[in-house]
Amino acid sequence: MPAGASKSRVPLPPPDARVVTTACEYCPVACGYKAYIWPVGVEGGPTAAENALATDFPTGPLSGRWPSPNMHTVVDIDDRAHNVLVLPDPDADVVNVGGNHSVRGGTLALKLFREDGPTRDRLQQPLLRVNGTLQPIPWDSAIEIIAQMIRHTVDEYGELAMGVKHYSYEFFENTFAITKFAFGALETPNVAPHHNTGGGTDTPGLDDTGVDSFSAGYEDYAEADTLMIIGTDPYETKTVAFTQWIAPGGATIIHMDPRKTFTSSYAVKNGGVHLQVEPGTDAWAIGAITRYILEQGWEDAEFVADHVTQTRAEIEADDGWRRRIMGRTWDEFRQEITSNPDLTLDRAAAITGVDAADLVRAAELLAMPVNGEQPKASLLYEKGLYWSHNYENTAALGNLSVLIGARGRPGRGTSRMGGHQRGGASGASYPMDKSPTEFDGQKVEMDCDRWVVEGNTRMVWSIGNDWVNGSGASHHLGGLLRGWTRGTDPQITSTDPARAVAQLQQRLAAGGMFIVQSEIYLNDQTEFADLVLPAATWGEDDFTRNNAERRLRLYGKIMDPPGEARPDWWAVSQVAQRMGFDGFAWADTNEIFEESGPRASGRKDYSQLVEKALADGDRAHDVLRRMGTTGIQTPITVEGNDLVGTVRMHADLSFKTTNGKSNFVFVDYDAIEQRNTLLGPNSDEVWVLTGRLNHLWQSLFDDKRKPHAISRYPTNIVEIHPDDAARMEVVSGDLMGIESDRVRTADQGTSSGAITAVAYVTDQVAPGTVFVNFHYPGSPANAVVTADAASTPINPRQPFKFGRGRVVRLGSTDFAKSMSFAPRNLA
Amino acid sequence: MAMSRREFLAWGVATGAVAAGGVVIPVALLADDEGEAPPEGAPPETASPDTTAASTPQTIPAIVTLYPRVKVANVSELVPHAVVDFQYPTEETPASLFKLDRPAAGGVGEDGDIVAFTTLCTHMGCPLAGAYQPDHGVFGPCGCHFTTFDLTKRGQVVIGQATQDLPQVMLDIDGDEIFAVGTIGIAYGFRDNLADAVVVEGL
Repeated sequence: MPAGASKSRVPLPPPDARVVTTACEYCPVACGYKAYIWPVGVEGGPTAAENALATDFPTGPLSGRWPSPNMHTVVDIDDRAHNVLVLPDPDADVVNVGGNHSVRGGTLALKLFREDGPTRDRLQQPLLRVNGTLQPIPWDSAIEIIAQMIRHTVDEYGELAMGVKHYSYEFFENTFAITKFAFGALETPNVAPHHNTGGGTDTPGLDDTGVDSFSAGYEDYAEADTLMIIGTDPYETKTVAFTQWIAPGGATIIHMDPRKTFTSSYAVKNGGVHLQVEPGTDAWAIGAITRYILEQGWEDAEFVADHVTQTRAEIEADDGWRRRIMGRTWDEFRQEITSNPDLTLDRAAAITGVDAADLVRAAELLAMPVNGEQPKASLLYEKGLYWSHNYENTAALGNLSVLIGARGRPGRGTSRMGGHQRGGASGASYPMDKSPTEFDGQKVEMDCDRWVVEGNTRMVWSIGNDWVNGSGASHHLGGLLRGWTRGTDPQITSTDPARAVAQLQQRLAAGGMFIVQSEIYLNDQTEFADLVLPAATWGEDDFTRNNAERRLRLYGKIMDPPGEARPDWWAVSQVAQRMGFDGFAWADTNEIFEESGPRASGRKDYSQLVEKALADGDRAHDVLRRMGTTGIQTPITVEGNDLVGTVRMHADLSFKTTNGKSNFVFVDYDAIEQRNTLLGPNSDEVWVLTGRLNHLWQSLFDDKRKPHAISRYPTNIVEIHPDDAARMEVVSGDLMGIESDRVRTADQGTSSGAITAVAYVTDQVAPGTVFVNFHYPGSPANAVVTADAASTPINPRQPFKFGRGRVVRLGSTDFAKSMSFAPRNLA
Repeated sequence: MAMSRREFLAWGVATGAVAAGGVVIPVALLADDEGEAPPEGAPPETASPDTTAASTPQTIPAIVTLYPRVKVANVSELVPHAVVDFQYPTEETPASLFKLDRPAAGGVGEDGDIVAFTTLCTHMGCPLAGAYQPDHGVFGPCGCHFTTFDLTKRGQVVIGQATQDLPQVMLDIDGDEIFAVGTIGIAYGFRDNLADAVVVEGL
């Protein structure tokens, strides 16, 4: 029976089933999993002695040992059919203790390739677009074409014309190989992660206050008295962080988000508060809370006195250029915040749409002493905060964090919850001297998106990311790329590598472009590629990665990749060697991981683990394999003969600044106002908010092939408030158009975008705002999202949350017959 | 998956879908879905080729275990939003019948609003009993990890972490009497709905 079936029976693994430990492929929590693998035709029995789960069936509630039908599949291993059960690890003692899991990870088994199932369309051969059609060619031809074209591009047009766009997190081994090749061998800074314009930080304002953006551990979530959660719904999108640590931990929750999601309802039901800010006004709400705490004298005086920079001279002596500009002393901060009239409760309430009483309540929960003790408060946040006013919002939060001392202490942290896991390794340093961008008299990371849009990039190797749909002004970028590839002659007319290369070189000379795409399936992005490489994925090689509490695990190999699909590190190594570069002849991922050790630093520092493994005559991957789903939290140190992980960073209250102290930062409220005016909706438009849905991961590359997920969301949805729906005479299930002809492009021009989605009438959104899934194939929300950061390198991240458009009813659909439109925010 | 329910419906109409015990499955229960297999008792059948991601051609294996036919309630005794608890198909499988106030997929009765489901959450097995929300036709959120199921959409997960929709107990009406005749999906804790526990006694 193919993967995804609703079966009548799930076979149990026999006691001798092979077990591979791994962690989930999807959200930043990275729950631990065990894959049980055994031949078809054998089955464990229903008593504990007869099965590998050591469980009597039927098994009871919360046993963690029920193999749901969607946790099981059948795949070919060594030419023989095998059962594979990918079960949330019932023995997990960290993260997902006892086998907790989300709907995403719980269906991991269905990701695996099988010839008779929904994953049968995995890419299995390199494909070259010959006369407009993608056609199989040998790897050797593909490698030859890529190697020759990279050499040609760099020689003819310079390093900056050669771009690499990649996932940034799909395992340390792959990203090490990619960055070693791009930064080290090619020496191009034209390298951008999947969602960003280039290098640099996601959370500049918070960084400038000296705190690491992933400093807290999940223990801190549980130990806190108060959790302020901003710009994300952790139940939907970092599920087990919520169900295992936040909810059982019992902290009172302040949920700040323009949508009233499940977490909002849960917070209010359990004594917390929902700050339903109007889009783009977060910094005023945070600033008013901060000012109120200051006025009440509720700051952590001891922390401020001992661990916060007091003098301007220290700020100006800092090594960080941005901190020197934006850093503020305790006195300067107080002066700035108390002199800003918009941060009084009444003014902030008017600006944000949040009741003043709720702002006060939040301040009390965060900082009002109880029996003389400050509450343990942690600040957790994600992209709703920092993908709008990137610097200013994170700066406002950073100031609040410093003021209440929420950093480095049990239950008192400030941390991102994460969008995806953390799998970025540095194979070589960013070649800053090659960057074409300067700011304040020095070189800074380049804006690769703008570089592309302005026509400077001639070749791109795009690896495992849906580049166009993942970029603001998607339809503008897509139109350009289509024109430079499919629309610029010559097209490739031969599978002969020499002829293909000659034709591609002519195309580049004509102002065109060549895109290579590494993928596991054809998707919206492969449309732009002339060459598609079949990649291997989770479960098809040994890989390593961190989760959002810096927990490093080995993700064990379950089966070979299908056909001629190969891991991305292998493709990189082949191209690099073909070009004559040394240092890329790796035999396996363990070799890469061990090579990466000495370069691992900061929050992802696993250098000591590698060093010790080598000293012990061990393999670093095997050390991690033995740690199973527990893994170890980076940075890792050695004490005696033991590897020791780090539960939380900054535990010694030293921070990532030159003087080791925290400092306050400047929040430019004028810049926020200007950006809201520039990027916000006008009278016939609404805010188009974007984000994730519970069941769905990224571009749905797996979910499209998981019946349980795709039957829940067979289409993109647009959440519309009941008042707006009534006015527009719209009911759930109607087909809606979302259009804008005011989409700002990466080069600060204006373009258009339009998508369709099905109305989901709900009070999750406020009137005048709608919400759509950010990355639904064929319905890219980013088509109506600005690509213009409207900022300087101080503010490096695109405002992906700034979508706007007209919403119109196009007609009706049949979706309401099969798809639930019930409220998703009932707590 | 086996075949889509739409495909199954087409086949069932043509051949007469026969469930265990010779009971004709209410056609409404089978209508209009993708992603669920037909109930046990369906004879082997090859679906037509289908290249969509969520629907796959293949052969449904013959299944021999039979579901019991069990009386659950009388239609005349069901007031709106009534909930009737019972055990089905085994003595260790809690289930509830719901009289909703809106038509539901698989619903029986004059208004098509009588449905039944197993009541252990298919995430990690916590009891959903008491979590029926009449205003929304949903069951949940579960007290453990907050999954909510839509009783009008075959137990679809509205929001939550269950990796399978809530198993729906198929109902059949004979006069005033409502009978449970089968289950779609596997109940929490079981490897097979009819194995490892005592099957309730059928008529």
